[in-house]
Amino acid sequence: MVFSDVDDLGIQINSFLSGTMETDSVTSGKDPYRVAKYCAGNIYALKGRQFPESIAASILELQKKNDYDYIFIGSTAIGRDVAALLSEDLGFEVASEITGFRTEGGRIITRRFFYGGKTVLEESSTAKILTVMPGISEPKSSAKEGTVTEIESPASRITLIGAEDKTSGAVDLEKAGIIVSIGRGIGKQENIEKVNPLVEAVRGELAGSRPICLDYHWLSEDRQVGLSGKKVRPRVYIALGISGQIQHIAGMRGSKTVVAINKDKAAPIFEEADYGIVGDLFQIVPKLVEAIKSGQ
Amino acid sequence: MPVNIIVLFKQIIDIDLLKADPSTGSPLVQNLPLRLETLSKNAIEEAVRIKEKKGGKVYGLCFGTEKASSALKEAYAMGVDEGLIITGYERNDPTRTAKVLAEKIKTIPHDIVMMGNQSAESYTGLLAGKIAKILGEPLLSNAIKVDVEEGKARVVMATESENLTAEAATPLVISVTQEINEPRLPPVMQILQAGKKPINMEATSISGSSEVQVISNLAPKSERKKLVFEDPEKGIPEVSKAIREAIK
Ligand SMILES: Cc1cc2nc3c(=O)[nH]c(=O)nc-3n(C[C@H](O)[C@H](O)[C@H](O)COP(=O)(O)OP(=O)(O)OC[C@H]3O[C@@H](n4cnc5c(N)ncnc54)[C@H](O)[C@@H]3O)c2cc1C
Ligand SMILES: Nc1ncnc2c1ncn2[C@@H]1O[C@H](COP(=O)(O)O)[C@@H](O)[C@H]1O
Repeated sequence: MVFSDVDDLGIQINSFLSGTMETDSVTSGKDPYRVAKYCAGNIYALKGRQFPESIAASILELQKKNDYDYIFIGSTAIGRDVAALLSEDLGFEVASEITGFRTEGGRIITRRFFYGGKTVLEESSTAKILTVMPGISEPKSSAKEGTVTEIESPASRITLIGAEDKTSGAVDLEKAGIIVSIGRGIGKQENIEKVNPLVEAVRGELAGSRPICLDYHWLSEDRQVGLSGKKVRPRVYIALGISGQIQHIAGMRGSKTVVAINKDKAAPIFEEADYGIVGDLFQIVPKLVEAIKSGQ
Repeated sequence: MPVNIIVLFKQIIDIDLLKADPSTGSPLVQNLPLRLETLSKNAIEEAVRIKEKKGGKVYGLCFGTEKASSALKEAYAMGVDEGLIITGYERNDPTRTAKVLAEKIKTIPHDIVMMGNQSAESYTGLLAGKIAKILGEPLLSNAIKVDVEEGKARVVMATESENLTAEAATPLVISVTQEINEPRLPPVMQILQAGKKPINMEATSISGSSEVQVISNLAPKSERKKLVFEDPEKGIPEVSKAIREAIK
C-alpha cells in the first residue's frame, strides 16, 4: 500500500514499485483520478481536509482489511507523522526517509542519508512501513487504470481554523534540465534580478538554498533545493553564493555537471563542483552571460 | 493561566565538523565535540517563550548518555527550569527512544510536550507521532507558529503545499520546524547560573531491539572534476564552454 498527501510523490512511489510489487494507493491529495493512471490497482481517496491522526486511522482500517506486506508513505511533513502513528498502532518498524531499497530473504535493505546528509546508511531490517524521499523515480503510467473509492474521514480531535495555499504551481524543479541556484551570497532580494540574465541565457529554472526560500521567502518554498527541499538532477546546476553545506548538497548531488561561483576559496561547494570560479558573483555573472551568448 | 511544558532535547556530535576518511569514506566520529541538536534548540526556545508569556514551567527531558550533562546545562541557560537525563541511549532507534521518553512523560503532569520535527543528524522525524500515539494525545506537527490559550493550543502547521492553522485541546504534542524562531544565545550570567543547577540522571530499564542491522554507513564518493579557477579571466571561458556543451 502506498500513501501520499502529495499526488506527484504518490505517483513516483507507485512507479518506483511497479514491476517489483503490486500496489494499492491511498491519497489525501488533490486529484485521485490522476493517481489512478499510474500503476496502482485500487485507489482510496480520503475525502476532505485531513490531519495525520485521521489519515492514520483510515489507513489502519485498510491494513486490517487487506493485510498489506508493506506500507510505503511519502516522506512529507504529514507522511512522516502518519508513518509514526501507524507504526505504534500496528507494532511495525519504520525505515524513514529512504532513497532506495531491496528485499532479501524476508528482510528489507534500505538506503538513506545519515549525519545530516554526510553519509549514506544502508540497513537491513524487518521494517514494514517505509517513508520514501521525493525524487526517487520518474512517473511511469500504466495501461490499466485503477479503481477509485472514496473514503469518509473519521472524526478528529483537531479543528481546522484556516488554510493558506503556498504552491506557486509554476515550477517543477525535479524535471528541470538546467538550474541556477542562489544562496545567501545574493545579499538582498532586489539582487535576484541581476542573475536573471544568466537564467535566461541558459534557459534554466531559478532555485535557492533554504535560507533564501524558507527564512527570507525571496523565492517560493517549492524552489528550495536540499535535504528538506527538492532533490534535483539537472544536466547543469549552477550554484551562486551558496556555501555548500551538506544539507544543500544532499539535494543536488544527482546533478550531471555542477558549476559554483563563490567568493570564499574554502567554501565546501567547491568540493562538490566540476567547475568553480572564486570571486564576486555580481562581477562574474555578467561576464559569464556575455561569454555564453557570444559562444566563447 | 500558567502553562507547563515538557521539552524533549537530544545531544548529537557536531555534524558540521564531521569529516570522512578519504580512502574508506568512513565518518570519523571519534573525539568530535558534542552539541545540542539543532531542532531541539528551536523546541527549547519556543517552550521558554511560551513560559515567559504565560507563566508556568519548562521541564527538559533527554534520552542520552552521561555526556548529555553539557546539553542539559545549555538547556538550563536558555531558560529550562528543571531537567532530567535518562541514560542508556545506544543508537538511533526511534521506537525505543519514543517508549523511553513517553513512559517518563506519563509521570509528569503537563499541558504540552514539545520537540523538533526532524533532528538534524538522523533526520528521522518519527518521534512526535510515536510519542503522541503512546500518550494518546493529539498531535499538532511541523509548527511555524504556536499560540497557547486556556485549555488549548493553536498552531500553524507547515506542509509542503499549505500552511494549516489548527487547534486542539491540551494536553497535546507539538513538533516545531527550524523556521519557527531564532534560538537565543544565553548571556554569560545565565550560563554561570545554569552551571549550579542539578544534573538529574536516571537509567532506563527499557531495552532496544537488535532488529536493525547496519550494513554500511559511508560518505558518498564525490566524482566531481573540481576544476576551481581563482582567476575569473581563465575560469569564465572554461565554465561557459561546459555550460554550452551541456545545454546544446
Ligand atoms: C535539518 C536541516 C535541514 C536543512 N535542509 C536544507 C535544505 O534542504 N537546503 C538548504 O539549502 N539548506 C538546508 N539546511 C541549511 C544548511 O545547513 C545551510 O544553513 C544552508 O544551506 C546555507 O545556505 P547558503 O549556502 O545560502 O548560505 P551561507 O552558508 O551563508 O553561504 C553563503 C555563501 O555565499 C558566499 N558569498 C557571499 N557573498 C558573495 C558574493 N558577492 N559572490 C559570491 N559568493 C558570495 C559566501 O562565501 C558563502 O559561502 C538545513 C539545515 C538543517 C539543520
Ligand atoms: N534521544 C532523545 N531524547 C530527547 N529528545 C529527543 C531524542 N531524540 C529526538 N528527540 C526530540 O525529537 C525531535 C525529532 O527527532 P527525530 O524524530 O529523531 O528526528 C528532536 O528535535 C528532539 O526534540
